[in-house]
Amino acid sequence: MKTLTRRTLGAAALTLPLALSACGRSAVDARAASTSRGPISIWISTNEQELAWGKAVAKAWNAQHGDQEVTVQEIPAGSSSEEAITAAIVAGTTPDLIFNISPAALPDWVRAGGLVDLTTFEGAREHIESRGGSRARNYAEDEGRGGYYQLPWKSNPVMLMYNRKIFEKAGLDADHPGLDTFDAFLDASRQIVSSGASGSAIWPTPTSDFYQPWSDFYPLYLAQTHGTRLIEDGRTTFDSPDGLAVARMWRTMYEEELAPREQSTDDAMTTGATAMQLAGPYAIATYEDAIDYGFMPVPTVDGIPAAKTITYADSKNVSLCSTSRNRLTAWDFLAFATGEEWDGKLLETTGQMPLREDLTSTYPDYFEKNPDYTSFADQADRVADVPYVSGGIEIWQRFRDAYSGAVIFGKDSVTDAFAEVSRQIDALVKE
Amino acid sequence: MTTSTSVAPTSTPGLPRPATRDPWWRRLLGKQPLGLGMSLPYIVFLALVMAYPLGYAVYISFFDYVFTAPGVHADHPFVGLANYRAVLSDPRVLDSFGNIAVFLVINVPLTVILSMVLASALNSLTRWTAAFRVAFYVPYVTASVSLIGVWMLMFSDDGLVNSLLGPLAPDPSWLVNSHLAMPSIALFVTWKQLGFYVLLYLAALQNVPRELYESAQVDGAGAVQRFRHITVPGVRSATLLVLVLAIITGSNLFTEPYLLTSGGGPDGASASPVLLIYQKGIQQGNPDLASAIGVILVILVGLLSLASTRLTKED
Amino acid sequence: MPRDSDSVLVDEDGTGTGQRHPARRRRARILLYVVLAIVALLFIFPFYFMAVGAFQKDPTTTLSSLAPTGRWTLSNFATINERLGLLRALANSLVFTAGVLAGTLVFGLAAGYALARLNWRGRGALFVIMLGVQMVPFQLLMIPLYVQIAGNYGLGDTYAGMILPSLINTTAVFIFRQFFRSLPESIFEAARIDGASELRVLRSIAIPMVRPAIATVVLITFIGPWNEFLWPFLITKDSSMQPLAVALANYISNVAGTVANPNGAILAGACTLAFPVVILFCLFQRYFTASDIGAGIKG
Repeated sequence: MKTLTRRTLGAAALTLPLALSACGRSAVDARAASTSRGPISIWISTNEQELAWGKAVAKAWNAQHGDQEVTVQEIPAGSSSEEAITAAIVAGTTPDLIFNISPAALPDWVRAGGLVDLTTFEGAREHIESRGGSRARNYAEDEGRGGYYQLPWKSNPVMLMYNRKIFEKAGLDADHPGLDTFDAFLDASRQIVSSGASGSAIWPTPTSDFYQPWSDFYPLYLAQTHGTRLIEDGRTTFDSPDGLAVARMWRTMYEEELAPREQSTDDAMTTGATAMQLAGPYAIATYEDAIDYGFMPVPTVDGIPAAKTITYADSKNVSLCSTSRNRLTAWDFLAFATGEEWDGKLLETTGQMPLREDLTSTYPDYFEKNPDYTSFADQADRVADVPYVSGGIEIWQRFRDAYSGAVIFGKDSVTDAFAEVSRQIDALVKE
Repeated sequence: MTTSTSVAPTSTPGLPRPATRDPWWRRLLGKQPLGLGMSLPYIVFLALVMAYPLGYAVYISFFDYVFTAPGVHADHPFVGLANYRAVLSDPRVLDSFGNIAVFLVINVPLTVILSMVLASALNSLTRWTAAFRVAFYVPYVTASVSLIGVWMLMFSDDGLVNSLLGPLAPDPSWLVNSHLAMPSIALFVTWKQLGFYVLLYLAALQNVPRELYESAQVDGAGAVQRFRHITVPGVRSATLLVLVLAIITGSNLFTEPYLLTSGGGPDGASASPVLLIYQKGIQQGNPDLASAIGVILVILVGLLSLASTRLTKED
Repeated sequence: MPRDSDSVLVDEDGTGTGQRHPARRRRARILLYVVLAIVALLFIFPFYFMAVGAFQKDPTTTLSSLAPTGRWTLSNFATINERLGLLRALANSLVFTAGVLAGTLVFGLAAGYALARLNWRGRGALFVIMLGVQMVPFQLLMIPLYVQIAGNYGLGDTYAGMILPSLINTTAVFIFRQFFRSLPESIFEAARIDGASELRVLRSIAIPMVRPAIATVVLITFIGPWNEFLWPFLITKDSSMQPLAVALANYISNVAGTVANPNGAILAGACTLAFPVVILFCLFQRYFTASDIGAGIKG
C-alpha cells in the first residue's frame, strides 16, 4: 500500500510543473488593432466555386492595396468547419475574416469572445442594413436591436427540386406538379413509388448530425408557420399543431417507405434512385448536365401560394475575428467584397444568393441569362434562419435525436417525443 | 581534451567503491540516474501531451466551463458534481454506455476466442502459414478510413451482403437497424483488429513447450482436449493482454460510429461515449459535460481491466 | 499448466486417437487447411472488392460486379486525384507516419530500456502512469491539446504540430520494456563487470539484440498516424498539408452525397491509402514472425 501511495505521489509530482505551462496566449490590443491597417488573412470554404470567387476578390484588392495584402486560406466545408473554427478561436489562431460562419454556432463564438462587433467601424451598420434590408436585423444582437457580429452574406433558400422525367413516368404533371399541400405531396410520392418510376419519392439524409433538420423538417416547418423559428422569445415553438403536422407528414413518408431510412451511398438524385430533394440554388450547378429538373416551393398542410411561402435561408455569413491586428483593413476588405460588384460576381460564380435586397432588379442581366435561378432569387426575399440562441448546436442535436427516434424510425410517438424534447430545450435556453 | 583525460582516472565509474554513503544526487535520483535521463523525453512527452490535458479535463469536469478566446475572461464557477449528475441523468449518455456494453459483449469474447483458435491452428501447421498470416494481418495494417468505405458499400441496403442473403436480408438493413448497427460495428472491429491479436497469441504459443503436446498425444488426448488443457492455460498471460487491450480499444470506439454510421446511427443506437465526448466537447461547446463523460469512461475502463486481470489470474 | 490427470482421462469419445489412425489425422489436417483457407478468403475479400471496384467505371454492389468482364477504367483515380491530390496527400501521410515512427523508435526505445533495466527514482511511477495513459480517449484531450500546440507553441499548419501528440507510442514503450526485461540479466552483468559504462551496454548489447522487437513496434505504431483523421484535420488549415486519411474521411462524409457516382472515387482513394501498406507488409512479412515478440509478452 505504501509503495502505491508513493507512486501516486510521484506521478502527481511529475505532472505538476506542466500544469503551469499553459498560460502563454497573448491577446490582441483591441484599441490599437481597430485603427490599424496591414496584411490580413481570410478563410473561405473549400467549395470550388466559392474558393474561385475568394481568390478573385483578393486578387482585385491586392492590386490596389500593395501594403495591405489579403491571403486566402481554405477551411473544409461541411460538418467539421464549426469544430475547426471553435478550436481556432480558443487557441487564438483564427484569421482576420471568416467567410463561412454558420449562424447556428455564432452566439457561442460571440460568448467566447472570438469575434468583433462590426458596428464599431464607421459606416458598418449602414452598409449591413442597406445591403440586407429589413432581414439584416435577424442577424443582430439583442433581438435585432444590438450590434452585428456577422455580416449576413449569402443564402441558399431551400426549395423542392424534382426530376421531371420521373414525374412524367409516374403520370404526374411535370410542368405544374402543384404539390403545395401535404396530401398532394404524399399522394404524388405514393404514385412515384407504386408506379415504379423511382425507388423512393424523396431522400433526405436520415443520419443524426445536428444540421440535418435543415434539409428535411425545418424548411417545411418555416413554411407552415409563416416563418416562426424553432425558438422565439426564449421558448421552443415546434411542439405545436403546426410542428406536429410537419413531423407526422415525414413520419408517414418513412413508414410507407417513400423515403429511405438509410443514407444514400451516392447521389440519389443523379442516379434516379429518388424523385425529389430539398435543395438550394447550388444544386443547379450540380445537376445541370445530369437530369431534367424543376423547382417548386416547399409544401404545407393546406397549401400556401408560392408568392407567400417562407423557407429556410441556409445562410453563411462573414465575421471579423478578435485575433485580427489590422481590423481596419479587415473591415475595408469586407465592405469591398460585399459591395454590389463583388456580390454580383459571387452570384455569377457560385449561383448562391447574396443576402441583399432586390436581387432580381440589381442583377437583371444575370437572371435573364439564367432563368433557373429566378425562382430562387424570388424565394430569397422570403426566408428565415435558425434562431439566434446560445448553445445552438446542442439544441439542434437534441432536436435531431428526438426527431430521429420518433419520425425516421417511428420508435416513439411524435407527440411524446416533441413534448419531451421541447421541455429539455426550453430548460437549456433558460440557462 | 586534455582536461578530460586528466580528470577521468579520478572518477573511474567501473571500479567497485568502498561502501560509503552515496552522493546526494544518487540518493535523490536512484542508483542509475541515467535511466531518468533516457526516459526524460518520454516523461516530458507524457506530461505535455497526456497528463496536462488530462488534468485540465478532470479539473473542468468540476466547473461550469466554457472555452474562451485568449485574453477573454469568463466566469467558471465551481459546481461540484453537477456535471456528473447532468450526464448521468442524460438518457443518451446512459444509452451510449449501454451501446458500448453491447459492443464489448460481442467483440471481446469473439476476439479472444477467434484469435486464440486461429493462432493455435496456424501454429500446428507447417506449410502455407505465411500466406495465412498475411491474410489475417492485412485488415489490421490497413487504415479504417479506407475499409469503412468498402464496408459501407457491402452492408448498405442494396449492398453485396444483402443481395447475397436475398430474402433473408434484415429489414431495416444492417447499419440503420437499431438492433444490428452496434453488432455490425462490433463485427467490423473484430475483423479489423483480429490480426494483431493472432500475432500476440502466436508469440505466446512459442513459449508453450512442444513436448507437452506430444506427450498429451501419446496419452491419447484429442485436439480439443489438447487445446483446452495445454493451449488455453499456456497462453494465459497473452489472454490477459488481449482482454485488456480489446476492452480499452473497444471502450474508446469512435471512428466507426463516426464514419460508418455517421452521427451515431439510427436513433443513436451506435453512439459511443467517445462520440458523445466529441459532440458535446468539440461540436457543442460543453467541455465540462464532455470531460465528465470522459472521467466516468476512464474509471469504468480501469475497473473493467482490473476485473479482467483478476479473472484470468484466478480462473 | 496442463493437469496431467485430466489429460489421462480424456479421449473416450475418440476425437483424436491420432497415432493409431494416420489417415484420419491427414484428413483432419486437410480439413483444417480448408477451414483456414475459407477464413483467410473472408478476411481478404473486402480488399478484392476494393481493388476491383476502384477500376470499374460504375462499381455496383451486385454479385455480378465481383467478376467484371469489361468496363475497366482509371478514371476513378483521376476523379479523386483532382479532388484530393493523391500524391501530395500520400506524401503528407508518409511524413506524419515517419515522424511518429522515428520518435517512437528513438525515445521509446530509450525509455523502454530505462524502465526495464535501470534502477532510478520514479521508474515505478512512470510505469503506473504509462498503463493509465492507455485508457484515456484522445477526443477528451483534443481541445486542450489544440490550444497548447496551435496556441501556445504556434505549431498550427506544421508537421511538428501534427506529429507531436502521437510522437511516442505508449504501447511501443511497453513492448520495448517487456522485451528488455526478458533478456537474461547475465549478459548485462558480464559487460558491467568488464567495466563497460551503461551507455556502452546499451549500445553494444541491448540495441543489437532489440532488432526483432523493432519490427513489432513498427507494425503497431504506424497504423495510428496512418489512420488518424481528426487531429491532422484540426491542426491544418492548409489543405495541401492534409494526410490522405483526413482528405478521404472528409470526402466520404461531406462530398460523397453530392457527387453522382462517388463509390468509384471512394474505392480508388481507399486503394491508394491501403495498398502501398499492404504491399510493403507482404514484402516484409517474414520480419513480423511470431517469435519476434515472444519475449515481448512474457511476464
